[in-house]
Amino acid sequence: MSVPLSIAPVFRGRALATIGACWLLVVGIAAVGAPLLAPFDPLEFDPFVRLSSPGWPHLFGTDHFGRDSLSRAIYGARMVILIGSGSVLIALVAGGLIGMLSAYFVRLGHLLMRIVDVLMAFPALLLALVLMTLLERSVLNTVIVIGIVYATTTARIVFGMTLKLKRDVFVDAAICSGAGHASVLFRHILPNLVSPMLVQASFIFAFAQLQAAALDFLGLGLPPEVPSWGNMLSEERIYVTRAPWLLIFPGALIILSVFSMNLVGDALRDNIDPRFKDDIAGV
Amino acid sequence: MALLDIRKLDLSIARGGELLPVVQGVSLSVEENETLGIVGESGCGKSLTALAIMGLLEGTAVRIAGGSVHFQGWDLLALSPEERRRIMGRQMAMIFQEPMTSLNPVYRVGDQIREAILQHRSMSRRQAHERALDLLELVRIPDPARRIDSFPHQMSGGQRQRVMIAMALACDPRLLIADEPTTALDVTVQKDVLELIRGLQARTGMSVVLISHDLGVISETCDKVAVMYRGRIVEQASTSALFSNMSHPYTLGLLGSMPALDHDVEWLDAIPGRVPTLDETVLGCAFHPRCFAAKATCRTEDPGAAAVSPAHFVRCHFPQGSSS
Repeated sequence: MSVPLSIAPVFRGRALATIGACWLLVVGIAAVGAPLLAPFDPLEFDPFVRLSSPGWPHLFGTDHFGRDSLSRAIYGARMVILIGSGSVLIALVAGGLIGMLSAYFVRLGHLLMRIVDVLMAFPALLLALVLMTLLERSVLNTVIVIGIVYATTTARIVFGMTLKLKRDVFVDAAICSGAGHASVLFRHILPNLVSPMLVQASFIFAFAQLQAAALDFLGLGLPPEVPSWGNMLSEERIYVTRAPWLLIFPGALIILSVFSMNLVGDALRDNIDPRFKDDIAGV
Repeated sequence: MALLDIRKLDLSIARGGELLPVVQGVSLSVEENETLGIVGESGCGKSLTALAIMGLLEGTAVRIAGGSVHFQGWDLLALSPEERRRIMGRQMAMIFQEPMTSLNPVYRVGDQIREAILQHRSMSRRQAHERALDLLELVRIPDPARRIDSFPHQMSGGQRQRVMIAMALACDPRLLIADEPTTALDVTVQKDVLELIRGLQARTGMSVVLISHDLGVISETCDKVAVMYRGRIVEQASTSALFSNMSHPYTLGLLGSMPALDHDVEWLDAIPGRVPTLDETVLGCAFHPRCFAAKATCRTEDPGAAAVSPAHFVRCHFPQGSSS
């Protein structure tokens, strides 16, 4: 299987998307190199420098336990990547399978897609909240819950595309050459879904960050000891008047990252879906 | 027994709780190394007949309401999906109307041909690659070693149809069903593709069912012809018998509506009117509202199939032509 897709045309003439991609690269480097880049241990308490303002040696200041904010932010990048890729993986695999099977096997589809409809009737955050209250707070559970939430939208999209693809002549041609159901689904239909699913992945990656941050903020997401941008916001929110930088830095990081992911997602989609091409070029 | 033997095939389309017949009592047979042409307007049921043979009606609104389809002695309509899959591609193959969409856009053409080979043959990928190259050569794709790595969108319509033919021939099928293989192609490319099919047939001894709305294509390619109108065969004969003695007014109408190549004509004799829709019931002969020879009987009585000469059947009260 080979999909003709190269990176260069995606970002050509799109300054903002390029900047976004660069920012995401920085986040990625921070996540990978956190132990080398972080100046302090993100979990180490230092009661003598509680709530110190940004400056040397604590560039982002310290929180109410005296932990170095910059180090926590750098380690938080790991959670961005982990939450993002984990929920994308679950959403694409679960949603993709449900969508494809539902479209291909009509009777099964009646059942599965109604379940998806019910889940989609809840706002994403509410659904995530309900599911999280049923589960223990942990990184894995957060990833699973966010994955499930976005599996529903993925299932819808894949369902629609598979319905169209399965009526295409090349599917008939494959059946004529003796291909079975599994072969038709995974060897002939699935490769045609790769590009749109890639675009979908970029948006899920972004929305997953917002969901995770919101869950963290509400105290239902990652365990409190895990350094994540959402947890930083959540724990320090009562110090907003005394030490506003404790909220400004992680808040800005979340906004910047989600915005970057959306810009990259837009650029990807415009590149893959010709209907959007040139309409909003330059964004 | 004939290679392909269709007896009294009835197809119906389910709509709003009732079954509307779309193909009625179609009987056809194809012998080894023979080419059968099925000709008729859009919506006359010729493609549906082909899809029914290939078992591609599953999941559509069309149901097989009666009749039988035997291929090499197998009852195709009674086969399990598993058994059917073993025949498809290996014993019988099909090429489609739209070469633009009948190849999977995300695979290189070589991969698609190889896939068709490996579906039925156990050979190494390397051997399959060699075979794919041979097949591309066989269908006369220039520079196959380079083209084998092309994506479908990098090829022209004619080339894609050649690739489709290569895929269909991957396992040397005994029967090839070609559903308007040249309709979407330029006239010059059309000729090449038809010649290719004919050449391959001579070489491999396979049988071909060629579906077309073009009598010219049929006359050049086929051994025998079935003319279909509104789900029924209205005239059936060997090509030479049919063209020397066209008996059904509809067949004559089809011939009259073809532009002649050797002289300019101001006006083409189109068949007046249109094919009645499925829910319109036409009493008597289904063709009578459009027929130049219709008489009172045609409006009330449905004509049965009558022999004009041995092996030349026509479904008309007043067959035209020399012997009537």
